Amino acid sequence: MKIYVCCKQVPDVAMTIQIKDGKFISEGMNYVLNAYDASCVEEALVLKEKYGAEVTLVLIGDEAGKEALRKGLAMGADNAFHISDPALNNLGSQAAAKVLQAFFKGRDFDFILTGKQAQDSDMGLAGGILSGLLNLPYVTNAVGLDVQDKMIVVKRQGDEGVEVLHMPMPSLITCSNDMNDPRIPSLKGIMASKKKPMEQVSLTDLGLSADEVLKESQKSSLKSFGLPPARKAGAKIEGDAQTLVATLMEKLTKEAKVL
Amino acid sequence: MNVEFNQDQKLMQQSAREFAEKFVKPVAKKLDDTQEFPVELIQRAAELGFMGVAIPEEYGGAGMDSLSYTIMMEEIARYCGSTSVILSVNNSLVCGPLLKYGTEEQKQKWLTPLAKGEKLGCYGLTEPNAGSDCAGTKTNAVDKGDHWLLNGAKIFITNGSHADTALVFANTDPGKGNKGISCFIVDMKSPGFSVKPMHGKMGIRASGLSELVFEDVKVPKENLLGELHKGFKIAMTTLDGGRIGIAAQAIGLARGAFEEALQYSKERVQFGQAISNFQAIQFMLSDMGMKIDAARLLTQKAAWMKDMGQNYNQQASAAKLYASEIATWVTNRAIQIHGGYGYTNEYNVERYFRDARVCEIYEGTSEIQRLVVAANLLGR
Ligand SMILES: Cc1cc2nc3c(=O)[nH]c(=O)nc-3n(C[C@H](O)[C@H](O)[C@H](O)COP(=O)(O)OP(=O)(O)OC[C@H]3O[C@@H](n4cnc5c(N)ncnc54)[C@H](O)[C@@H]3O)c2cc1C
Repeated sequence: MKIYVCCKQVPDVAMTIQIKDGKFISEGMNYVLNAYDASCVEEALVLKEKYGAEVTLVLIGDEAGKEALRKGLAMGADNAFHISDPALNNLGSQAAAKVLQAFFKGRDFDFILTGKQAQDSDMGLAGGILSGLLNLPYVTNAVGLDVQDKMIVVKRQGDEGVEVLHMPMPSLITCSNDMNDPRIPSLKGIMASKKKPMEQVSLTDLGLSADEVLKESQKSSLKSFGLPPARKAGAKIEGDAQTLVATLMEKLTKEAKVL
Repeated sequence: MNVEFNQDQKLMQQSAREFAEKFVKPVAKKLDDTQEFPVELIQRAAELGFMGVAIPEEYGGAGMDSLSYTIMMEEIARYCGSTSVILSVNNSLVCGPLLKYGTEEQKQKWLTPLAKGEKLGCYGLTEPNAGSDCAGTKTNAVDKGDHWLLNGAKIFITNGSHADTALVFANTDPGKGNKGISCFIVDMKSPGFSVKPMHGKMGIRASGLSELVFEDVKVPKENLLGELHKGFKIAMTTLDGGRIGIAAQAIGLARGAFEEALQYSKERVQFGQAISNFQAIQFMLSDMGMKIDAARLLTQKAAWMKDMGQNYNQQASAAKLYASEIATWVTNRAIQIHGGYGYTNEYNVERYFRDARVCEIYEGTSEIQRLVVAANLLGR
């Protein structure tokens, strides 16, 4: 089996986000593998261990993106493609899907996994658009994957429960981070990941021009960033159960006026 | 020296942090309460390669540098002093000298399983009457032709209760002080070798601290580590490396307490406002953060010098000295910021304080570190 995982690098949530004049300050920021994509890698590796597969990572991004790719390789993926070009900074979902479409043209695979969204933008569009461009069967929000009789068995979290779908190969599946608990890369894995193939791909390699990508990117563009207002300190109610309930009722009716 | 981590180091930090948050944080309090050695946790750490971070891959280690090792130590100590000291002893006090002084056979036989974490090591230097002055070692090894006969006792040995392999410093030429000490690799299952767990410690209570007793323990001739009578030098150079790890441990403990205090100061309301609005609290927080940063830079410099193959004796002592003293100070301030709650075990800060305190004592007391720094400054 040949499984591709499309990944994205996102700012490390453990660090403080800094915004100046509506712009996100990326200097000094650590970039990590998007958590949803880490779940994709984990699931692909489980399938690889079960049935044998080649797990390939694809990422569009600058130098910082290499770190996210190396994390996936350190987890156990076999190889990676790093699509990078100055024209590819701050891509919208539409443009990213267009670039990936060019990447997948003529490639052979059984399925493509992508995170159901990225932790930073929370758009959740690239996977869907890509499936459209590649004309692939598509399912969202997977919480479980298996393979039976040349079909992909996808458990997806729907509104009213878990649905089980059988998908043909090839297909595109977007994954939830509820699917699994991604493995922590061992130090051995980290060191081994340095020796795994990571191929650089440019826009020219993909037969795309910067203008074409820019045009796609402009279909939706990000105007500015802002931090959410700081949360006000909550109120702590203390006392025995009776006092707790009484005070809470009082607050809900008189202060919050929700009852 | 580069202040930005390279890719290996960043990935190491992510792995150590994930491990610490997922597995260490949830059990740290229980480990302190029960004083039980965290067997399963250490097993997991071993699977990730944390038992032989700076040991080459050919001997079962991860093949990373000393700076990566300090990164791991800080991330783990951020939640638990016991777990971090267990790792530090195996990494720097046992694997370190085996790599530096071991013969090829010794490395294959003893270092490889220790670096892989299949076996656990302990370091037996201190004795009841030979602490700072380890030249006063009374444990002795007598040459019996085809083996050494080991007699004596060691005290305060971290990992002792669960270790498989001990490095033991013993007198091989009585009356010669420093110049008559040798280092032996001892299989702890050897007849005559017994271990007595020590309880009642103030902090790092789950580290398997024990007394080791040797009664006519036969040690094979080939288990002498390094040269005969040159054990004192092994002990000292080993501690240089160890001190970098202890410095990182102290920083991790200080950081853990600092982060909790920072959070608490924003939540605790007195006089109608969060206590973080009071300048007295802000000044404490700023000093805490500043000292942690300064200690980290000193420690990274020492690790970097080690990685560059430079003499780092002075820098390792300075880093360990400064980091351990600010760790006591920072964790103490963290209790202050928590007020009365900080004095109870409902919050973690009292544990951080108790755990941090030993960093000023083991692997050379602060007084001994000052002697080392002074000796370097004065060229003695
Ligand atoms: C929790 C814990 C874990 C430990 N783990 C290990 C281990 O794994 N392996 C191991 O071998 N040891 C271990 N030790 C022992 C530790 O390294 C010693 O306790 C330490 O070196 C100090 O020795 P001591 O306790 O005998 O104190 P002493 O040497 O008796 O010191 C008492 C006081 O005198 C001061 N002092 C001594 N000499 C001088 C001097 N020349 N100038 C000025 N002041 C001086 C000291 O600084 C100290 O303040 C551990 C100790 C503890 C508490």
